[in-house]
Amino acid sequence: MSSHHIFGIRHHGPGSARSLRKALEDLAPDAVLVEGPPDAEPVLPLLAHPEMRPPVALLVYAADQPRDAVFYPFATFSPEWQAISYGLGRGLPVRMMDLPQWHQLGQNKDQADGAELEDSDPQPSALSPQPSQDPMGWLAQAAGFSDGERWWEQMVEQRRDSADIFAAILEAMAALRAESPPPEPSEARREAWMRKTIRTALGEGFTRVAVVCGAWHGPALIDLGDRKGDAALLKGLPKTKTAATWAPWTYGRLSYASGYGAGISSPGWYDHLWAHEEQVTVRWMTRVARLLRGQDLDGSAAHAIEAVRLAESLAALRGHPLPGLDELNEASRAVFCFGGDAPMRLIHDQLIVGERMGAVPDETPSVPLQQDLQREQRRLRLAPEATWRDIDLDLRKPFDLERSHLLRRLGLLGIAWGQLQSGGGTGTFREVWRIEWRPDLAVALIEAGIWGNTLRDAARARALDAAERAADLPDLVGIVNQVLLADLPDAVPALMAWLQERSARTADVAQLMDALVREDRLTRSSLVASLRYGGVRNTDTAAIAQVVDGIVLRVCIGLPGACSSLNDDAAGAMFGRVVAVAAALRLLQQPEHLEAWHQSLLRVADLGAVHGLVGGRCCRLLLDAGAIDAEEAARRVGLAISQATAPAHAAAWVEGLLKDSGAIVLHDDLLWGILDGWVASLTPDLFLQTLPLIRRTFATFAPAERRQMGERARRGAASGPASPRADDDDIDAARAEAVLPLVGRLLGFIEGGRFIEGGRFIEGGHKARPDTLIH
Amino acid sequence: MSQRLREHAEHQYAEELRALARQDTRPRPSGWLLSPWAVATYILGGTLDDGTVIEPKYIGSRRVIEIAIATLATDRGLLLIGLPGTAKSWVSEHLAAAISGDSTMLIQGTAGTSEESIRYGWNYARLLADGPSAAAMVASPLMRAMQDGKIARVEELTRIPAEVQDTLITILSEKTLPIPELNSEVQAVKGFNLIATANDRDRGVNDLSSALKRRFNTVVLPLPDTIDEEVSIVQRRVASLGAALELPAEAPALSEIRRIVTVFRELRGGQTADGKTKLKSPSGTLSTAEAISVVNSGLALAAHFGDGVMRADDAASGLVGAVIKDPVQDRLVWQEYLETVVKERDGWKDLYRACREH
Repeated sequence: MSSHHIFGIRHHGPGSARSLRKALEDLAPDAVLVEGPPDAEPVLPLLAHPEMRPPVALLVYAADQPRDAVFYPFATFSPEWQAISYGLGRGLPVRMMDLPQWHQLGQNKDQADGAELEDSDPQPSALSPQPSQDPMGWLAQAAGFSDGERWWEQMVEQRRDSADIFAAILEAMAALRAESPPPEPSEARREAWMRKTIRTALGEGFTRVAVVCGAWHGPALIDLGDRKGDAALLKGLPKTKTAATWAPWTYGRLSYASGYGAGISSPGWYDHLWAHEEQVTVRWMTRVARLLRGQDLDGSAAHAIEAVRLAESLAALRGHPLPGLDELNEASRAVFCFGGDAPMRLIHDQLIVGERMGAVPDETPSVPLQQDLQREQRRLRLAPEATWRDIDLDLRKPFDLERSHLLRRLGLLGIAWGQLQSGGGTGTFREVWRIEWRPDLAVALIEAGIWGNTLRDAARARALDAAERAADLPDLVGIVNQVLLADLPDAVPALMAWLQERSARTADVAQLMDALVREDRLTRSSLVASLRYGGVRNTDTAAIAQVVDGIVLRVCIGLPGACSSLNDDAAGAMFGRVVAVAAALRLLQQPEHLEAWHQSLLRVADLGAVHGLVGGRCCRLLLDAGAIDAEEAARRVGLAISQATAPAHAAAWVEGLLKDSGAIVLHDDLLWGILDGWVASLTPDLFLQTLPLIRRTFATFAPAERRQMGERARRGAASGPASPRADDDDIDAARAEAVLPLVGRLLGFIEGGRFIEGGRFIEGGHKARPDTLIH
Repeated sequence: MSQRLREHAEHQYAEELRALARQDTRPRPSGWLLSPWAVATYILGGTLDDGTVIEPKYIGSRRVIEIAIATLATDRGLLLIGLPGTAKSWVSEHLAAAISGDSTMLIQGTAGTSEESIRYGWNYARLLADGPSAAAMVASPLMRAMQDGKIARVEELTRIPAEVQDTLITILSEKTLPIPELNSEVQAVKGFNLIATANDRDRGVNDLSSALKRRFNTVVLPLPDTIDEEVSIVQRRVASLGAALELPAEAPALSEIRRIVTVFRELRGGQTADGKTKLKSPSGTLSTAEAISVVNSGLALAAHFGDGVMRADDAASGLVGAVIKDPVQDRLVWQEYLETVVKERDGWKDLYRACREH
């Protein structure tokens, strides 16, 4: 007499789960065996914990190599879930009977191949071209259905009650397996282990053992006779130490679209089928109507009524007893959406897939890093949520600053919980993050466990490791920026030493310039910005200052060499760098930097072989900074555009001088005067010759600017608009300071307790933007 | 052979409809001549148990047709939407023919369609002579369809002024048409329903009010999915039109049809069939229906002025005419397509030369 009863199920099938639950109640077994990893048995009792909310996943990982991990996702409608909770609820012994991951993960390591991980996923329903892998596909084809999912849904999932179904499934599978080639070795081993587990249970004296497994395995578990053969199959398997835990999961990740998907495309629909035995169609359409109403779309009860009628007549037309998801979708599209796709996408995301996220109880074993993160999340009141939301951080507040540090440390560890959003205003004291907790982040977190036991340690170790392997200087600077913004001061000295060393060895001036000013994608900050604004973030700036000093010096020395013999593309890139470095140095306001920089620019401007674009801009920067006077500048303009110069060079020079500064030409008396004077000094013939060269640049200015320039030229130099470039001496310091308290309050300064340096506006009148005042 | 230029669907396919009715054992909604399954077979084609071959009227997604039929079976109005030339009117005519055996209850929607042409008008001579009476009334096709329990069709619903459109609301929801002048009403007999068609591009002309929208189930007729599907549509329609027009020409070679369909699909989709080159799209819709008429006119040219076999020359004039709707913009698009795609393609030299001459 057979005393074990086999229940072949379809993973994550609500109909299967319902039939199984009923069959178990009828059978009243004294032990339950479920296809799943025995590694998980220590954490299995947590499943019955009141705080455990599916969807969740069992995570089994190699203890010494958490990267090597397998997930077993469960939803409340998964038959395995129902079987385990049935067993636990009645105090029965519940055992997992699949080949343990302590053997399988070992195999993966031997083969050094990630593909095996897919195979170990216990999902025969994942469709595959191999007939043995897709038994339902074959049966469905025989029954005239287009694919296995549909067939199973029609035949099994939508049935409400019938315990015989399991006998029928077993029979069908046996017939199918008789026609198929023998199972692969890995498959055979798994089934051997299952048989072994069943034998053990029977040996212990259990008399009614319920065996819950994927339908395909059923026939292989009937005959337990071949003890020897199984022992031979299971001999000499490698062994690894594994650990298991529960991780929260989402319906989105159960669906096809995502990596560790369970192969079901409509978890939300299955959930609906599981939750409502009666009035499936009516309830579904009501939910559609409510969803659409919530989004301000048409979705009245009248719509729902018509949609139900259409779905039912469609099902009748197609000869189905009840409308399936296809019929419901087609009815929704015709009635609610007027044939459109956009509302259907909404229905798909919110209802068919669903956004439900599971939760695990606090007692769930977790890796130390996970615990640290949970502590931090509680302390900083940032709850992990499946839907994204934006948080607005004011870095002047210590609490917000720490939140920013947390998100940035996670970023360093490759756990992208938060995305820094653009458009947070010009001030750097404000950050907007979009946070969205995805279950794969839990995986990444466990992976990151190899770097350390607290976020701080792990982030530091990971950053130092990355810095050591950084390919070039800008990469290294990127890491330095991340470390500075993540407030990991212990890592800074070592990084700075490397930076110093790298920059000393780098011969490439362009890289050095990039290192100074390039904003990296993750932090949106540059080395210079970190130095200048470090105070707001309470970063230690002394070490950075030293490195910046070194780099600036090397740039100034190397610049003339780097600017000679450039082709057009290289000159364009260098132009951008020179402009950026000039802006950065203006920001830093270090006299010694500026002096060295101007010397260097002067040498570039004098260089014979310099590309016009760069030479022209150097002249302009010198003029703006007051390093050369108007007369000298005018001389240089004349020189650059004289007849002997090659036209292309001259045109590039003018472009370098004036690029992107139409408005400045118009309003800067000095520049205007130089240009005006120079044009006026040309003879008519010379003017005609020069005209095309200048036009090349002027044509890039906005039409309105050109018109104003023309008007101003016609009026003559004397009657230009009032000069905004007031002399420093004209400022009445006392009157200016009178408004500062109010400005300070408007800008939120008084709160920060800081004040504008020296109580003076920064030089350059119109160039001082609000953000320079703030920091 | 009948002397009429074009037969109604129910006459042209009378034989098929009779065969279907004979074989049809499934339940029929009241007022329907065929069961929904038989209607689906009539539209999508198939072979009956007695060997009668039902020619497919619509080539494309089965689901679309099933939704349309199920909608009509639930006595909801059916709104067919699609680009010009996606067989909206064609499908609605055949649905009406199969369900009611009568596809003539037709109201053509235009900007000038008045409320009288939807509800009823008056024979003014009698109205003046006898006063309002049932005899003085002129029923609209819609009213007749209600009285007889048949399918009424409204073509180009969105071209009808919005206030006239709304006349349909009562008819669709209450299934009655009040006649206040006679203090009576017409109540629809079972089997009555309404199929309206509307053009995707015209959505903005007179958008449906949401009250009216709510009373229709909307089905979007897509452009043909694959080139094979489209070639097969063109071929079938050309063959049946050619037979009706008694053209002496040979049936066009499949390769010639495929070439024309390829040109249409490429220009419509904005890239070459191999997905390698981007193209500009002309202003016209370049629907399958237009491809059919290009092949047809090519066929006629070949029959009457050529040797009876359609060649590149015969196709070219129709092709150019179909593509170039805007003399300036589209000509540029077409020239570019000729020079960059047609000229380079193997075996298309004749088409290139022929199109250059036009």
